[in-house]
Amino acid sequence: MVSQTPDVVAATGQANMLDRLYDSVLNIYRNHTFRVIIQAIITVWAVVTFTFFLVRLMPGNPIDVLIEQILVQEGISYQEAYDRVAASFDFDPDATALDQYFDWFGDVLRLDLGTSITSPGTRVVDEIARYLPWTLFAVGSGLLISFVLGIVLGMTMAYYRNSPLDHILSLFASFMTGVPNYIWGLLIIIILGIQLNWFNVGALRGTYDVNTTPGFNLPFIVSVLEHALLPIITYVVSTLGGWMLNMKSSTMSVLNDDYVNVAEARGLKDSRIITAYVGRNASLPLFTQLTISIGFVLGSGVVIEEIFVYWGLGHYLFASITTRDYTSMQGVFVILVITVVFANLIADLTYGFLDPRVRVSGQK
Amino acid sequence: MSQPMNDDVVLRVDDLSIVYQTKRGNVQATTNISFDLKRGQAMALIGESGSGKTTVSLSLIRKLPKNALITQGQVLYQRDGNVRDVLKLSKRELREFRWKDCAMVFQGSQNAFNPVLKIRTQFEDTARAHGWTDKNAVRERALELLRLVRLDPERVYEAYPHELSGGMKQRTLLALGVLLNPQVVILDEPTTALDILTQRAIIDVLNEMQQRLNFSIIFISHDLSLAAEMADVVATVYAGEIVEIGPVNDMFYDPQHPYTHGLLTSVPKLDHEQDFVSSIAGAPPNLISPPSGCKFHPRCPYATDKCSEDDPTLTGEKPDHLAACWNKDALLEAREEIARKELAQ
Repeated sequence: MVSQTPDVVAATGQANMLDRLYDSVLNIYRNHTFRVIIQAIITVWAVVTFTFFLVRLMPGNPIDVLIEQILVQEGISYQEAYDRVAASFDFDPDATALDQYFDWFGDVLRLDLGTSITSPGTRVVDEIARYLPWTLFAVGSGLLISFVLGIVLGMTMAYYRNSPLDHILSLFASFMTGVPNYIWGLLIIIILGIQLNWFNVGALRGTYDVNTTPGFNLPFIVSVLEHALLPIITYVVSTLGGWMLNMKSSTMSVLNDDYVNVAEARGLKDSRIITAYVGRNASLPLFTQLTISIGFVLGSGVVIEEIFVYWGLGHYLFASITTRDYTSMQGVFVILVITVVFANLIADLTYGFLDPRVRVSGQK
Repeated sequence: MSQPMNDDVVLRVDDLSIVYQTKRGNVQATTNISFDLKRGQAMALIGESGSGKTTVSLSLIRKLPKNALITQGQVLYQRDGNVRDVLKLSKRELREFRWKDCAMVFQGSQNAFNPVLKIRTQFEDTARAHGWTDKNAVRERALELLRLVRLDPERVYEAYPHELSGGMKQRTLLALGVLLNPQVVILDEPTTALDILTQRAIIDVLNEMQQRLNFSIIFISHDLSLAAEMADVVATVYAGEIVEIGPVNDMFYDPQHPYTHGLLTSVPKLDHEQDFVSSIAGAPPNLISPPSGCKFHPRCPYATDKCSEDDPTLTGEKPDHLAACWNKDALLEAREEIARKELAQ
């Protein structure tokens, strides 16, 4: 055997270390949870960057918008108006978009979403904290109600397929999905608010009655529910049909599966077969769709909240777009993107608990 | 078959006829099926695909498709001296009857288990549905049965279905089948879709289980070697009728019906040189408008005019070996001829 020189030994030692480092990095990357989180972070960054430049491509900027307002209202010269507006705004319209991006992104990394351009001194974070809970409440309960209802009705349709009940529900479901949500919003206002006069739509502005004291007391809770009811109904009506039809087809295919047949031959009670054997398996694909629809419903919230003058995040975003308040808009986008991506992340990481077949090693 | 049921008969199918109602007309799936199954006996129903074997077995636990209609007959089930007609059980009685008295292991049990529940949960579900709530006792019994089917009991009991191979699932289903100590176990093609070694293992396991637990078996197969190995009694089913029934040795060495004989000669033999494998000419008849007389006559090499006019009934010299054929003598001659040729070779 040839003796190795110390140099060679050191070199191989180094190579081994590199190999091991490479292996451990690879192992970390192979870890499902880690990889999903990294993907989520990249997604958030990409979407936020994209929207940053997108809002800057909109015609006009916050200063132009306000200058126009002042020009119309006070009849002063353009230069005068420009000076006044520029002085009161924390915004330099002449800086390049790229400079603005790096400025803003550096702040975001320090968890600072900046202050509003149009109302200087107002922190965007505070505004979002004020509006976001209402949106999450309305969208969340709307989605939850329509999801649960859709599963129950969809299963009913599958169990009574080709009966008159199935035909009527199918028709309703197709109709509900076919009509866009903003039309539903308008229809609900016109029918429930004006024709039937069940709701005093005019008085239901905002998220709760200002005469009540926020807190855990009955009048406040009732008024919160009252204000959120119509937007929630809109969310439910516009998404319910999809759940019903999906659940119906999913249930019908599960009903043909051998294990349901065997479960019946095993003499299991119907209640157990419907829940643990049919329902659980049939609803699996719907959970994936649920995470996708969170994004869609949050996005549609902008229009719905504006229609019902429900002061949630969509309402705030709408106001920011009208005044071209870049920082506020971006702040909302960041939060919306994080909410959607986070919801998907949770769904991805918990799906294994619902379906053991996709459970990855290390998850029990 | 209207004599009283002896104590050792667990299941009597009496003159059972079933039709499937379809848009093109009524399909006569089974006609006047009758047989007795004794305690501890294994009976094989053999026949081509579409001959009505599965329909018979499904009717025993009333799991027939919705368009099936039982036009006549009864399925009598005897346990501890009580005789009940399965076809007259109420919905609740039927649910309790299933699996506890008569378990069925379906064809292609690869998907017989709910994919999202552990094997343990599915054993417990079955036990609880029949009023057995002591989970520890269920566990003990299940582990014992899983050991009997030669699986690693602890591991399989805590596994999800997708973690088991096809053969393991089939054996787990067998163990689940006898969990409640049924008197009758129906096996629909218990070894199809399994490789030859797994088939062997399943057969061994079944034989051993039957010896230990003493249940009766009805199994449906087109695998004649399986029938030869496992069955005490073999019934040949053709076009929804039992055309021949008898003890396994009589059926294999002294077939009285041309169809049974045809099935037997269509199996390649290992101890003879064969240039080709013979088959039964023609195809199974259309059961919406079956042939007149003996339904086999269009395919039968020994058919005479009588065969197309009159439907033969099950008769035989021995009381336990019956065949429905007018020309048993012609078949006998033909068999002797074949035997002479083989001897001459």
